[in-house]
Parts: sequence; structure tokens; C-alpha cells
Amino acid sequence: MSANIDFKNLWKQQEAEQPELSDLMLLLRSYKNKGLKRLVLTNVLLVITTVGLVLIWYYFQPQLITTKIGLITTILAMLIFVLAYNTLFKYYKSASEFESNSAYLKNLITIKRKQKFMQTTMLQLYFILLSLGVCLYLYEYVKLMPTVVGLLVYALTLAWLAFNWFYLRPKTIKKQEKKLDILIKKFEMINRQLDELDELNA
Amino acid sequence: MPFEEIYNNYWSKIFRLCMGYVNDHALAQDLAQETFIIVWQQLPNFRNESNIGTWIYRIASNRCLRQLETDKRIQKSELPFQIKEEAPLSIEPQIQFLYTCISELPETDRIIISLELEDIKQAEIAKIVGLSEGNIRVRIHRIKAILTEKFKVYER
Repeated sequence: MSANIDFKNLWKQQEAEQPELSDLMLLLRSYKNKGLKRLVLTNVLLVITTVGLVLIWYYFQPQLITTKIGLITTILAMLIFVLAYNTLFKYYKSASEFESNSAYLKNLITIKRKQKFMQTTMLQLYFILLSLGVCLYLYEYVKLMPTVVGLLVYALTLAWLAFNWFYLRPKTIKKQEKKLDILIKKFEMINRQLDELDELNA
Repeated sequence: MPFEEIYNNYWSKIFRLCMGYVNDHALAQDLAQETFIIVWQQLPNFRNESNIGTWIYRIASNRCLRQLETDKRIQKSELPFQIKEEAPLSIEPQIQFLYTCISELPETDRIIISLELEDIKQAEIAKIVGLSEGNIRVRIHRIKAILTEKFKVYER
């Protein structure tokens, strides 16, 4: 085998423009804010909605227990959603970049699996709780309406919920699952490159 | 070691590692920058237990491995106006060919050979990748054979 090609020399001839340190610092600032902004926004949205629901409770003084349960279930649904979202964020933070490649890859695969569980199971739970909450909440007000109108309101609400459950939910879950499955498979494939090496030398 | 010194010492090394991994000038620049952002953020937590070089190379190679997660950005940087903006520097075809060959290797091999060509000791490479030194030695030997073969065909 000819060893006369000086790969090291060729390798080091690759030019690398070094950006000014000040440019990097600018980038750093925008980076820090990006991830945080989304997290804060999601949490703020939850707080606003929850406050809104509590205000409804306070001002309209619902009489029936179903309305109260409905409100609590709806708040719970949102709470679970944001909790899952925040936990996912924590997982990502815990993936240490200073580990060896093989440890890092194993970590990434675990995180992606957890993410898949969160995004599918949690989304399911969120939909169920939200639908239940809305139906229960409506009952008190529908009761005051003429029967026909009341039935129509429920029919429309149920139709909307059915649309969410049978169309939007599977579509969203499928899309996320597909994306994550591809990533998991790819990471596992890279990780296997390291396993094969171990076997060869065993 | 102050950050500025690290930045000046390691920028081109890290850039070449990323370039070997993706063989795309703009993307390699992004990956190198992201590496230094992590270095900057985590430098206060760096304990001198390990070599600073090993530490930085681990961050950079892990960043490269994770790169496939942000596929969207690849599509973005493939927009024609950005390609023109980021026209690759005129480099010798041989250098370009080397980087192309490396970027076509399996992902972990790209990292291993890049570190080897950067003159990192095999014991250090073993620590960065998380394999035994013997493993690394065998793999480097094999990759070099593959590269030599490709160059032979190329030069013909």
C-alpha cells in the first residue's frame, strides 16, 4: 500500500476563516435567548389561560359541580402539557456534551425515546382531558338553553372534538413519530458503528 | 486558559474537524461556532481532570454527531443565494478531494480520521470517541487504506 500521500499535510491546508471574537459574542447572545424565549412563552401562555379560567370561575360563579370539574380538568390538561414540555427541556439540558461520543450517542437515543413517549402519550392525555373538560363545563349553560339549541351546541362541540380526535391528533402524532423514528434509527446506526468495532477486537 | 486564547488556538482545528464531517463550508462554520458557544458557556465548569483539547474535541465531535437533528438548517443553507454568498474558498482540488472522501465515510470514522490527521495522540482519540486504543489503531489503519485507495483511483 502506498504511504506516500501526505494526508496530514493536505488536511491542514484547508483554509479556515476565523470569525472575529466579537461576532461570536453577538451570536452567543442571540443563542441564549432563543431557547429560553420559547420556554418562557409556553409557560406564560399556560399561566394566562389558567388565570382566565379562574376568573371565569370567580365572576360567573358556576352552580353545578360538573362545571367546576370541567374547569379543573381543562386546567389539568394544560398543566400536564406544559409540565411535559418543561421536562423535555430538562432532558436536553442534561445531555452532557463533554462525554465521549459513544456515551453521548447512547444518551441521545434515550432522550429521543423519552421524547417520543412524551409527545405521543402526553398528547393523547391532553386531548382526552381537554375534551372531557369542555363537555363537562358546557353542561350547566346548555341546561339553561331550549332543548334544540342545547343539542345543537353539544352536537357542534362533539363534532369539533371528534375532528380533533380522529383527524388532528393522529396526524400530529404520526408526524412527530416519523421524525423521531428517523432520528432514533440514525443515531442507533451510528452507535452500532462503535459496537462493531468492539466485536472485531474482542 | 482564557477563552480568547482557546478560541485562537483551536478555531481552525475545530473548523477542519467539522469540515471533514459535513464537507460544507457554511455548515462547518456554523458547527464550529456552536462548539465555541458551548465552550464559552461551559468553560467555568471545566475541571482540569482532562486535557482541555480532549474536552473541546469531545464537544465538537458530539455537536457534529447531533447535527442531523437540525436537518432543516441544511436545507436552508442550500438556498441558491446563500451558496453564492458562501462561495467556497479556492482550494486545491486534492484538498477538496480529501475532505470529500472523509465526509463519505461512516460518521464515527470521519471523527476518528479527522482527529488523527490533526495529530491527536491515539490515546486521546480513544478518550474522545469512547473506544479502546487498540480499536482506534485498527480503525485508523483501515481508514487510511481506504483513503489511499481512493486517491490512487483519483490520480489515475
